[in-house]
Amino acid sequence: MGPAGQLLVLSHFEAMTLFAFFTSLVFAFLSKRGWRDRAKSFLWTFLLFLLAGVGLGWLMYPFPR
Amino acid sequence: MNGTDSPKTPAAPPAPRAGQREARAWLLGVLGWLVPGLGHLAQKKFDRAAVFFVSVVALAGLGLAMGAKLYGPPFARDQGLFLFALHVLGFFGDLGAGLLFFAARLAGWGQTYMGRAVGDYGTVFFLGAGLLNLLTALDAYDVAVGKKE
Repeated sequence: MGPAGQLLVLSHFEAMTLFAFFTSLVFAFLSKRGWRDRAKSFLWTFLLFLLAGVGLGWLMYPFPR
Repeated sequence: MNGTDSPKTPAAPPAPRAGQREARAWLLGVLGWLVPGLGHLAQKKFDRAAVFFVSVVALAGLGLAMGAKLYGPPFARDQGLFLFALHVLGFFGDLGAGLLFFAARLAGWGQTYMGRAVGDYGTVFFLGAGLLNLLTALDAYDVAVGKKE
């Protein structure tokens, strides 16, 4: 049990990765037909989610508060 | 009798009228909103139904486990119009999760603001689940009216 009754405590990166995984999966199945196209779309979206997250994190690095 | 007709050939079922088809599409969209993936399951799109159900339920469940704050009435108006509008929009986003939202509210989950970063992640997870579920419900509607495969 985490702080204040939370069942799950994740780091920012873990939460971002999980969010990116499920969101990319749904986007791939919504926008593409056929397993090959879906797999490509999923991988691209997932990677871009992670890259954008880490990139924005670095851009905000000089402004901690 | 036409000579090309075969007595063994079953007659094709009559095509549904446009109104019936539209009503069925709305019903499937609403089903997809209430239970993630149900609109696709009813149309025998088993792969999409499974992925949508697992993804939306996982996002909502993880969000609640992280201490998500669920938006809903009554909305406080003493913090300004901007925050009021954000809470109303958040409510509509959360509402997109369908029965998951109603079940969580009835169970009393997500009523308190955690005030910690991980609680905010949870709020975004649940909001993301609701918005994705709305997209899947629209997809179920589009498939039913024939706009998409």
